[in-house]
Amino acid sequence: MSLDREFSADGKELTVFVEEKFDFSKVQDFQLAYSQGVEAIDCIVINLQKTEYMDSSALGMLLNMHRSLGEQVTTFKIIKCRPQVLKILLIARFDKKFEIS
Amino acid sequence: MRILVVDDDTLNRFLLLHLLEQQGYVDCYEAENGFEALSLASRVKPDLILLDTVMPLMDGFELAPKLKQMAGDIYLPVIFISSVNDDASLARCLEVGGDDFVTKPFDKTLLAAKIRAHARTRLLSKKATEQNKQLSFYRNAIEREHKIVEHIFANALTVEPALRKFIDFELKPAGDFNGDMFLTHASPTGGLYFLIGDFTGHGLASAIGALPVSKAFQTMSNKGLSLMEMAETINTTLLQLLPDEMFFAAILVEINHSGRQIDVWNGGMPNLLLQNSEGKISKRFISQHMALGILEPDEFEADVERFEAQYGDRIIGFSDGVVELENTLGKMLTDEGIERWLEAEPKCDVANLLSKLDDYAGGVERKDDVTLVVYTCQALTEVDRFSHASQLPIKLVLELDHHLIKSSEPIIELVTMLTSQLSLYGVHSQVYTVLNELYNNAVDHGLLGLNSELKRTDEGFFEYFSLRQQKLASLDKGKITVSIQYQPKERQLNIEVSDSGQGFDPDMFANNLDLEKSYGRGLPLIRELCCSMKHSNQGSTVNVVFKI
Repeated sequence: MSLDREFSADGKELTVFVEEKFDFSKVQDFQLAYSQGVEAIDCIVINLQKTEYMDSSALGMLLNMHRSLGEQVTTFKIIKCRPQVLKILLIARFDKKFEIS
Repeated sequence: MRILVVDDDTLNRFLLLHLLEQQGYVDCYEAENGFEALSLASRVKPDLILLDTVMPLMDGFELAPKLKQMAGDIYLPVIFISSVNDDASLARCLEVGGDDFVTKPFDKTLLAAKIRAHARTRLLSKKATEQNKQLSFYRNAIEREHKIVEHIFANALTVEPALRKFIDFELKPAGDFNGDMFLTHASPTGGLYFLIGDFTGHGLASAIGALPVSKAFQTMSNKGLSLMEMAETINTTLLQLLPDEMFFAAILVEINHSGRQIDVWNGGMPNLLLQNSEGKISKRFISQHMALGILEPDEFEADVERFEAQYGDRIIGFSDGVVELENTLGKMLTDEGIERWLEAEPKCDVANLLSKLDDYAGGVERKDDVTLVVYTCQALTEVDRFSHASQLPIKLVLELDHHLIKSSEPIIELVTMLTSQLSLYGVHSQVYTVLNELYNNAVDHGLLGLNSELKRTDEGFFEYFSLRQQKLASLDKGKITVSIQYQPKERQLNIEVSDSGQGFDPDMFANNLDLEKSYGRGLPLIRELCCSMKHSNQGSTVNVVFKI
């Protein structure tokens, strides 16, 4: 099942909505979500408001995205994290590469 | 129709009784003086009395009020049969409590018509008295039931006393029951939740939805669920429960353990205000959604607004009873009105605001319930999140053979079971991360012999997962044992994961969290989340201690 996503009105910002579980079973869906039809974007937002469960492969996937879009996209955001998920992102020092809130 | 004829003259009594019989009134009694009349009346309870004015011992004028009194609240028609016909005597008949009179010699037709007319009134009066009796019975019954329901509500909707020091609030219902509600509950992750809501209308009908809402709110708060999930669940519950014309406007707020990260879901309520320490209203969380109980689950939007506040900022919430409060001129207070008050007096607390509201209303009776809530941003370290956890030291062992390893995703189920059975909701995400990491290491490296180095490049990253799938599909032997020991006193989980594989060198995994690499993050993550980690049996067994 593919992930929900949403472009801003000017088409420059893409928001990807991740589901309750963010782990390696989402590898392909997640990659598709940030790589299809994204030529015009300069900001990508990962919305984790539904995400309760995350493992290290999800972290790897986020870094893959960062690397693959790094030349084009200037702002990477991870938003609306649940407290526990936020803790994992902070332990992994993801605040250095992503704007986390 | 029972008629009592009172006359000292035997012939008169006979004439009257005869007349009555002709008119079809056969249930008649006669008395020849006042005393006899009184004792007979108390015994047979007549519906109408024909009364002679002039009698020895006690005349009709004296007797009439006594008979009336005996009849109580029910109308007892007294018709005087008067032998004198001067105006003063006739007027006196009515003054002493009589209802009508005829003069002797009486006209049969007229008397019969008067009897019928008064009989009708008597019947109406009887009916009205009966209805009054029923009415007061129902009123008493309802009052009693309201008392019971009020009692239940008071108990169901209480706020944990421990949370009162963080949140200042007051609810003022307009009637016996509150259509407004305020709930707050500690989150298992250390923060707290609160809800300000307003059912359409007020009184008992609008309060009825409060019970399922409070129940759902408590259960979900205990589990530390997101506002999204809360809003969705309450919406679905109310949609099933409430009639179409009823709904529930609500603000749901989650404050994390830092005490200043604020999540807000506002559906149909007035703005939730953020007042900074200088007293300025620096943010308004406006209603972005429809109220709960209206939209079908597939139309429902649960997007939550997040805001990072500063310590000392105040979150101020209120129901529409506040902004729609009218003064003596019928002018509403409005949002601007309350914001002006707040900015003029930045430290104004709930009690203070309420007295301002009373002053504003100037004695006009409120039409709607009023709720006011003020939360001042502060570290929430004191909120106890462990109080619900189980006190039983339980050990859980899960043995998976290669069939189960191939076909199931055991970790999420295991975590759900563990956190719900032991009420350890706040840590479910972390326990999942730890267990899932350990389990995947056992599968990937222990049983399947995969090498994470493959994940070095982007292509390799995907190759790794497709290789994993292939190898897993052809797995024909192997076993993984997960054992979890819960120690409530130490507040920890001792976790052991072992596999039947050849073992692997855990040192080959990076020891730091290198952000340039998209792999090797698992074990360092566990090291951070757990207080100890030990490998044995050439890497086939790993033990960690997770502090709750």
